[in-house]
Amino acid sequence: MKNLAARTVYMVVVLVLSSIAVFYAIRLSGGDVTAARLPASATYEQREAFKDQLGLNDPIYQQYFNYIGRVLGGDLGTSLTNNAQISDLLLNHGRNSLILGAAAFLLVFAVGIPLGMLASLRRNSWWDGGIMTFSVAGMAVPNFWLALLAVWLFATVLGWFPSAGCCSPRQLVLPAVVLAMEGIALTVRMTRSAMLENLNQDFVRTLRAGGLAEASVIGRHVFRNALVPIVSLAGLRIGQIVGYALVVETIFGWPGLGQVLVNAVLRRDYPVAQFFSLVLVTLVLLGNWLADVGYTMVNPRLRRA
Amino acid sequence: MPAPADRPAGTASASDPDGRPLLSVRGLRTAVAAGGETFDVVRDLSLDIYPDEVLCLVGESGCGKSITALSIMRLLPSPPVHVSEGSIVFKGRDLLRLKSRQMRRLRSDSISMIFQDPLTSLDPVFTVGDVITEVIRSHRKASRPEARRMAGEALAKVGLPDPAARLDSYPHQLSGGMRQRVMIAMALVLDPDILIADEPTTALDVTVQAQILDQLINEQRRRNMSMLLITHDLAVVAAVADRVAVMYAGEIVEEAPVDELFEAPRHPYTQGLLKALPQVGVKRKRLHPIPGLVPPPQLMPPGCGFAPRCPCAVDRCWTEHPELSDDPDGRTFRCFNPQPFTA
Repeated sequence: MKNLAARTVYMVVVLVLSSIAVFYAIRLSGGDVTAARLPASATYEQREAFKDQLGLNDPIYQQYFNYIGRVLGGDLGTSLTNNAQISDLLLNHGRNSLILGAAAFLLVFAVGIPLGMLASLRRNSWWDGGIMTFSVAGMAVPNFWLALLAVWLFATVLGWFPSAGCCSPRQLVLPAVVLAMEGIALTVRMTRSAMLENLNQDFVRTLRAGGLAEASVIGRHVFRNALVPIVSLAGLRIGQIVGYALVVETIFGWPGLGQVLVNAVLRRDYPVAQFFSLVLVTLVLLGNWLADVGYTMVNPRLRRA
Repeated sequence: MPAPADRPAGTASASDPDGRPLLSVRGLRTAVAAGGETFDVVRDLSLDIYPDEVLCLVGESGCGKSITALSIMRLLPSPPVHVSEGSIVFKGRDLLRLKSRQMRRLRSDSISMIFQDPLTSLDPVFTVGDVITEVIRSHRKASRPEARRMAGEALAKVGLPDPAARLDSYPHQLSGGMRQRVMIAMALVLDPDILIADEPTTALDVTVQAQILDQLINEQRRRNMSMLLITHDLAVVAAVADRVAVMYAGEIVEEAPVDELFEAPRHPYTQGLLKALPQVGVKRKRLHPIPGLVPPPQLMPPGCGFAPRCPCAVDRCWTEHPELSDDPDGRTFRCFNPQPFTA
C-alpha cells in the first residue's frame, strides 16, 4: 500500500503542475478575450476596462492564486461568452461525456478481449489473420478520419445511424465505436500476446497434469494471468478515451466536455477552458492511478502479504 | 535408507513371476517436427512400472527422459512433439488411445506428475488452496469446504508448516522447498497409483533436496504407490531406486535392479556414468568424463548411438543398431560388446 500512497502523492503533484501549465498556456496563446462579448466597434479603453473588471490585467501569478482560491472554495465561475455557470456546464455536458466515454470503455474490453482470445486460441488461422489485420488497421487509422469514414458509410450511404446529435442509443453508436476503436485494437493485441505467453508457461502443464479441464486451464487460469497486463493498462485506456473525446465529440456534435473545451479555447473563454482542461487532466490522472490500483488487485505478487 | 532388496517389487521385471506391471510402455517413439522434418527424440522405448516400486530413469540432459514422462501423461507440447508409435498400457487401457476427456480423468487421480522448477510450475495468480481444491473438485464430488479441508490435510501430510494458513498463500510467498511440497501435495491429494517425478529436486538447495526426496519416498512407501523418478543424479538413484533404466540419446540402453546396476553395469555408457562419479572419501586426481557429445537427433549414426564415444566399440557397432535384449545372466542392455566393469 506504500506504493499506492506514493502514486497518490505523484498524482496530486502532477495535478498542481498541470494546473499552472494550463493557466499560463491559455493566456500565452494570444487572441482577444473581449471579442466575444464586446461589439467590434468597442474602443481600446472599453476593452481594457472590461479586462480590468475580470482581473485579466493583474499579474498572472496573482490571477492564478485568485482562481485556485475560488475553485477550491467551490466557485467555478461563469463563462465569459454567455455567462453560463461552469458548474451547470460540468453537470450537463459531463453527463453526456460520461455516457459516451463509458460506452467506449465497455466496448474496448467487451470487444477487444474476446477477439484477442479468439485470435490466440486459433493462432495462425484465418481467424487470427483477420483479427490481427483489423487490429493493425484500428491502430493505424486516425480517429478523425475514421469518424468521417463512419459518417459517410453508416449515416450517408447506408443510413443506419444518424451522423450527429445526442443522446439516443442510435446516436451513441457511431461516436462510441469510433472513440473505442484504437483501444479495441490495442486490447486485441495485448490479449492475444498475453494469452499466448501464458499458454506456454510451466504452470499450465502442471494444471493439466492435475487433471483440470481444458476449459478451466485456459478460461480461468491462463486468462486470469493474461488479465494482469490488460487490467493494468485499462486505466490508460481511460486517458486515451478522454483525449480522443475532444475530436470525436466535435465531429459528431456530441455536447460533451470535449466539445465545451474546444469551443471555449477557440473563443478564449479562459475560465471555461482552464477548468475543463483541468477536468480532463484529472480524469487522465485518475485513469493512471486506477491502473496502479487495478494492477495491484489482479497481481498478487504486488500485494502485501 | 534400507537396502532396496528387502522390498517386494525390487526384483527384476523378467524374473518377477506373479508381478504384473501397473503401467507398461511398449515401443514408444516420440518425434519432434522442426523445419519440415521430423526427428525421433525417443526411440523404441519400453519400460514397465510395477506396483509399489521406485523406477529411476537416468540419463544426461536431453536424452529423452522428460519427453518419455510427458508422453505417458500425454502432456507433450504438441505441436511440435508427438508420439508416433507404441502403446502405453495402464490397467488394461492404452493411454494413447483414450479420448482426451478420459485421459484428463486419469491425470492426478491415477497418474500424477511433479515437475522440476516449483516456481514457474505453480499458477502465480491463484492461491495454493484454490488450485488444489480445484484439482480435487474436478475429479471428486466434493463441496468446496470439503475439498478445501482435503487440500489442507494434503499440505499437512507433506510436512508444510502451518498448512491451514498456507492454503491462502500465493506461490511467490513460499520458499522453493515449500513450493515443491505444495506440488507434491497437489499431485498426491487424490491418491494416485503412479507418481512421475521429473527431476523434483534439481532446482532446490542441496539441503532441501534431501528433505524433499525423503518426503517423496516416505509418501511412496506409505501409500504403496509406484514412482517413476527421473533424475540425472546417480546418488539419488542409489538412495531410492528399486530398478533403474538408463537412457542414452532417446533409447534405454540398460535396465537392472539398482544394486546390480551399481555393482556390475554392463553397458559401456552406464559404466562411463559410474566412472564419472566422484566418490566421497576416495582421493582421485581427476574425474573421468565420457569423451565427446551426444549426437543430435538429426545426426544419429545408423549403428549404436553411443559408438562414437564408446571405448569398446567394434566394427559392428557402427553399422548395426543393437536391440535391447537379455543376456544369459538375465541382464538387460543394448550392446554388442559388453565388458566387465572395472572401477
